[in-house]
Amino acid sequence: MNSLLEQFLSEARDFLQGIGEKLMQLESDPTSTPLMTELFRFVHTLKGNSGLFDFPEMTRVLHASEDLMDAVRNGRVGYSQKLADELLEAMDFVGVLMDEIEAEGEIGKNHATTATELAQALRSLISDSKVSTPVAEQVSIDSFSEDGPAVKAISWDELPTLNLAETVAIELYRCAINGDAVFWIEYTPEPECFFKGEDPFFLARQVPDNAWRNAILNNTASSLVEMDVFSSQLVFQFLTSAPAEELDDLFRYVPDQIHRIEIPALAFVKPIGNTDESVIDDDFINNTLLLLENDDLDGVARTIKTMLELSAPELWSSSALRWVLQLIELEPQNKAAQRLLLESLRTLTPPDWSTLTHSVQINSITTNPVISVDISEFPETLLRDFHTVINAQREILSLPANTSGEWSVGRLKSVAVSLIGCYRAINQAHEVEAIDAALQNALAENSPTPLLTWLESALTNVPELTVTEEDPQIATIFPVATQNEVKFGRRVEDTTAAATASKTLKVDQDKIDRLMNLIGEMVVAKNALPYLANRAETVFGVRDLAREIKAQYAVINRVAEEMQDTIMQVRMMPVSFIFQRFPRMVRDISRKLGKEVELVLEGETTEADKNIIEALSDPLIHIVRNSLDHGLEQPDVRLAAGKNAAGKLLIRASQESDRVLIEIIDDGKGINPDVIKHKAYEKGLIDEATLERISDQDAVNLVFAAGFSTADVISDLSGRGVGMDVVRSAVEKVNGTVGIESEVGKGTRLYLSLPLSMAVTNVMIIQSNQQIFGVPMDIVVETVRVPSIHIQRIKQKQTTVLRGRIVPLLSLNDLLASNVAQLPNEDNEFATLIVRVHGEHVGILVDEFRETVDIILKPMTGILGGLAGYSGAALLGDGSVLMVLNPRELI
Amino acid sequence: MAIEFKKNLAVFSDFVGVEEAEALLEWLLKNPKGKINLADCTHIHASNLQVLMAVKPTIAAQSKDEDLQLWLSTLLN
Repeated sequence: MNSLLEQFLSEARDFLQGIGEKLMQLESDPTSTPLMTELFRFVHTLKGNSGLFDFPEMTRVLHASEDLMDAVRNGRVGYSQKLADELLEAMDFVGVLMDEIEAEGEIGKNHATTATELAQALRSLISDSKVSTPVAEQVSIDSFSEDGPAVKAISWDELPTLNLAETVAIELYRCAINGDAVFWIEYTPEPECFFKGEDPFFLARQVPDNAWRNAILNNTASSLVEMDVFSSQLVFQFLTSAPAEELDDLFRYVPDQIHRIEIPALAFVKPIGNTDESVIDDDFINNTLLLLENDDLDGVARTIKTMLELSAPELWSSSALRWVLQLIELEPQNKAAQRLLLESLRTLTPPDWSTLTHSVQINSITTNPVISVDISEFPETLLRDFHTVINAQREILSLPANTSGEWSVGRLKSVAVSLIGCYRAINQAHEVEAIDAALQNALAENSPTPLLTWLESALTNVPELTVTEEDPQIATIFPVATQNEVKFGRRVEDTTAAATASKTLKVDQDKIDRLMNLIGEMVVAKNALPYLANRAETVFGVRDLAREIKAQYAVINRVAEEMQDTIMQVRMMPVSFIFQRFPRMVRDISRKLGKEVELVLEGETTEADKNIIEALSDPLIHIVRNSLDHGLEQPDVRLAAGKNAAGKLLIRASQESDRVLIEIIDDGKGINPDVIKHKAYEKGLIDEATLERISDQDAVNLVFAAGFSTADVISDLSGRGVGMDVVRSAVEKVNGTVGIESEVGKGTRLYLSLPLSMAVTNVMIIQSNQQIFGVPMDIVVETVRVPSIHIQRIKQKQTTVLRGRIVPLLSLNDLLASNVAQLPNEDNEFATLIVRVHGEHVGILVDEFRETVDIILKPMTGILGGLAGYSGAALLGDGSVLMVLNPRELI
Repeated sequence: MAIEFKKNLAVFSDFVGVEEAEALLEWLLKNPKGKINLADCTHIHASNLQVLMAVKPTIAAQSKDEDLQLWLSTLLN
């Protein structure tokens, strides 16, 4: 899981919590505008954040919530209990999604329907001027088909007219008979979809298993000249046997633009062909029908096959006969359909399947709710569900009225709607009028009694059921209001459990800093043990004790190191933390400057200590601004120079051993050393002599000098002369280095090298002139002993050849200006520390090497702070002070 | 450019994006007899599709992408 997502999840939970709290507070103070505004802001931010990721289900629900809250905030919709419930439920749903994302990294496909429902419910709250009217009305009526609201049960005349080739139709018919639902999909992209980066045609090409497809152009413009090519006027149509979930997933971003119908098998049975002539006479039809009546299907098939051999295949009648054969083979029981098809041969017009609704529905898979059957024929499960819903309604009705003594109109209506739905489902639609009447009475009296009385009386007409335990199927058969209300209710109890299981812990940074300081002290204290062991042996003469202390030291050392590592990891942050603001910044600045910039970010997962990352943010912004302002040219200049119009700005982070390297590379005009030299000379930063002999690289480095600026005009972006030297000092403050390389016309590369962490520094102790000094290990390349005969003098400088490379040698005593020669060992060899400074290897001659230690480096302050040759001081285990050298400045 | 406009032929290549639609319509209006070469085209954005569907130009060469060819051959005839 990427860190951005992690951050989103942790933040989103806070938001959810906040939204819940605000809603609770609103309940006691429903008119409070600040609360309302705060709530809107929460929902708004959460929606915005969720949009960063690929969670359309979550964004959809949040978007609807946001719209609703906006309406509430502007007073278009009044706050109500119902509204709070819906919002809380939506937030619970978002919580469920987040759990799923955390556990599996994505949202399951099964949530799409719920998301649409919730969003719909929320939106209907906006459209209803009376907020108290429950949304259950739309939902309960629409969603009586088993497939949820996305697929509506339809009647025959709603089916699209299908004009398919016979072979395709037969194939689809077979699919439908075999139980694979065949869907008719009409995808109407919204006109402005191109501006949202959508490509409806691409989406259309992804529809799986389509047997037939088409696109229609609804060009509204009167002539081609007026055609608006950027407004979608297309409608895509498909017939596909792909599973519903797959289709839901495919169109998950545009569910509202999809019209999906499940096509009953018989709808494909539609003979086509030439109707001008027919070789079939009434006798043949009558005979075949007679055979059919006698259940002689083989006989029917035989007769038809003979007939087919005699007639031309492209005739309408032949097509119809072939269909009869299909029907006999696949639906041998469906006599009515076979008969109807044979009858149609008399008129040569397609059979009207709607006339045999009853038998068709039994045989095909689609269940049409409008079937007139006796109630006792209903399966037990359906009856059980019926009772569950009815009982729930009875409970609702027996609830006490709310505090003000008013019976909510919405509650009554909701109950009535649920009841109507139930009775429709068991085909007792005639009860609807009675329910309506009872509802009117109840509304007039503002009491639930009339409805309750009706319910009691009505229940006696329905066969009672002995089984009462809950059936899990209820969810699929009745996605109605009652079920909706309890769906996420369990979440509330779950939240406590989930909160304790939460994996992230937010801790104040001060506490971490304190912990780190303590561990630092511990490291120092631990370092005292070897001294103690030494003293035990040399001063007190107890060798065994010394050995035991050393053994104990090893253990403490290991634990301390682990502690240190762990605390470092706690403080580690990915550089994406600062990188993520660049895309926006680069976009804004480049717009302002009229430049085209392609920003590439690399290595965003590279981690470093929080302090380092924070210290880096300002310098980086500075550098990026500089690159945009001075580095990259205007598009026309770039084109003239033979480059792409869009400049490329690459920001790359990488880890180099224990340092983080950040490079900012642009392919702009580069830095012209001559210009820099002269500017520096004009500003009095260098004298004439320097101007003459300064190398190009040194000249480029002058941009880091204090007070340097090349821009002639001070803009709000750069040109105040406080740019690069501020960058350098900020970077050096955290023990980092900054460098620049540039080639005129090709571009500039700026690099920052920073330590991963700055808490504990590993230094090597060396001895020179009877004093000890520390040298940071990160710049030490190696330690060698150079025999004095191998030291050559080139002019005034000492050098040696080390593995075929000339290495300049410097004496530490000289560097520290103490006029004493370095001491060689008894073999006349000089201890030489090879260090890497500004990318080059330099040897420093010292008197003796000592051990390496971990120290807490304290920078020097006050008057001593001006001594650039030292990077700081530290306490050693024996209580002495170690001065740590800064070879970069020293050399 | 994903479309190369020649004298009487527009050659589509790879993926023809949404930004080409306007130029395509203009060119087709200016060259009513202009033909379309789709041989090296793998996908056209819906905006281009609707331009082609509206104008129904002659296809000089079908796309080598079978699926695209199927789509276009039914829609542009």
